[in-house]
Amino acid sequence: MTTEPVAGDDAERKKNRYHFDRHTPEYRQQFADVTAEMLDKCPVAWSDTYGGHWVAAGHSQVFELARSAEYVSNDHDPARERRGYKGISIPSPDVGFRGGFLEMDPPEQRHYRQLLNPYLSPAAVARWTPLVDEIVRASLNEKIESGRIDFVDDLANIVPAVLTLGMLGIPLKNWDIYVEPIHASVYTSPNSPDIARIQASRIAMRDDMAAQLTGIRANPRPGLINALAHAEINGTVPPDFELLGVIALLMGGGFDTTTALTSRALEWLSEHPDDRQRLSAERDTLLDSATEEFLRYFTPAPGDGRTISADCVIAGQEFKEGERLWLSWAMSNRDPAVFPNPNEVELDRTGNRHHSFGLGIHRCIGSNVARMVFKRMVTAVLDRMPDYVCDPAGAEHYQTIGIIQGMKHLPATFTPGPRIGDGLEETIARMQVLVDEQRLAEPVTARKGAASVKLAGPQRLPGRPAK
Amino acid sequence: MKVRVDPERCQGHTLCSMIAPALFTLDEEDGHSTAIDGEVPAGLESKAAEAIRSCPEQAISVIP
Repeated sequence: MTTEPVAGDDAERKKNRYHFDRHTPEYRQQFADVTAEMLDKCPVAWSDTYGGHWVAAGHSQVFELARSAEYVSNDHDPARERRGYKGISIPSPDVGFRGGFLEMDPPEQRHYRQLLNPYLSPAAVARWTPLVDEIVRASLNEKIESGRIDFVDDLANIVPAVLTLGMLGIPLKNWDIYVEPIHASVYTSPNSPDIARIQASRIAMRDDMAAQLTGIRANPRPGLINALAHAEINGTVPPDFELLGVIALLMGGGFDTTTALTSRALEWLSEHPDDRQRLSAERDTLLDSATEEFLRYFTPAPGDGRTISADCVIAGQEFKEGERLWLSWAMSNRDPAVFPNPNEVELDRTGNRHHSFGLGIHRCIGSNVARMVFKRMVTAVLDRMPDYVCDPAGAEHYQTIGIIQGMKHLPATFTPGPRIGDGLEETIARMQVLVDEQRLAEPVTARKGAASVKLAGPQRLPGRPAK
Repeated sequence: MKVRVDPERCQGHTLCSMIAPALFTLDEEDGHSTAIDGEVPAGLESKAAEAIRSCPEQAISVIP
């Protein structure tokens, strides 16, 4: 990639220029202004950052580009076996493996999706709802009598992690091996003094992941890993490092994104108590649209990188093969051409064609998981901690929003309430028995119907029927 | 009024069935949507229109 002064044909082709650096704290602070300016002046712009790359911010431009898989590649090819493309991160991390099927093109990508979709479809995910409710109930139990909670550490980090492990076929109690490295690697700068500790926790995580893959291959246990361990992709058996990339993708997608969405939404609801009360009272009609609106407004995963795979003109812009492109879901989600009052949260917004799960063939494979877990966590908080108030002094956002627009901590206080049933450790142990006995992690093609959970405590919270 | 989901465009975002569960069925394996056969029942026209407007892939259309 050249960084020379733009001349000749390129001067015309790259006449819309914008210095775009989403990894700086300034970008987070100035997000609304940068977004408005780019949407207004240069919905597709050339940026000189990170070796030079295109940035698509406009809704219609992102829509066209993301759905042009024949010209826009996700491939990551660190071994330079094909064209040496650099996958979905800008800048590309210096790692020797691909990030699962999100860094592949069809037909390989399609084979993985077809293999894993039956574990993650709406029907497949709905089977897990009773288990999620149990983990949520138990997580809140740990804090309910004290009147204090950190919504990140004590709820939103735990539930998505336990569920993801369950779906993968990894013992639920291993969740704490995975949570910290995945959460902390997103927000910890490579220059941080904490980086050595996080690297060590990453190694422990990779070791457990590899042991799970080997163990499940030897002694099959239902779940996504079992599908991968016995997979034939495009006529060949993928090497383990490729499968570990897929498992890491499923974890990275399953953990910190839903954590980010939940913490940001709970913080906003604390700041808007009237909306919170309305959402709680009208959840039967409002919860779906509110969830989509929080997804749009907070866009937990703010974008994806691509590589142009053939010279083309898309959305009125001429691109050359090999050029890098950033598709900004976050900025396109604020386009006033599609979203009136784009910088306002409107819980009953209609026509909400947001891009938070991406578009086209790479639509987030876990989108149904994310929605379900988010809704169960938020409604449980509304039921059991209806007057919670977040502490602005303790709330800690990620310094940069280049990878995930998340939070490190979100402490809150509330009127203490009674525990319902058992605590987290006991509940996780009970849920493990349930997952095993009911073979909950089988694909929906092999096993239908929701998990059958016997509640340890009172059967139902006072006041509200479960939706 | 009839609605149709283009199977080449649908990617299984599921907003249509969230908005109008009576009009769209989601595939058990991949969540991709199919519209019901026949006329949109009376009273559900506005839900159909909202589903069309909300589809991230713009995969739903009205069949005249």
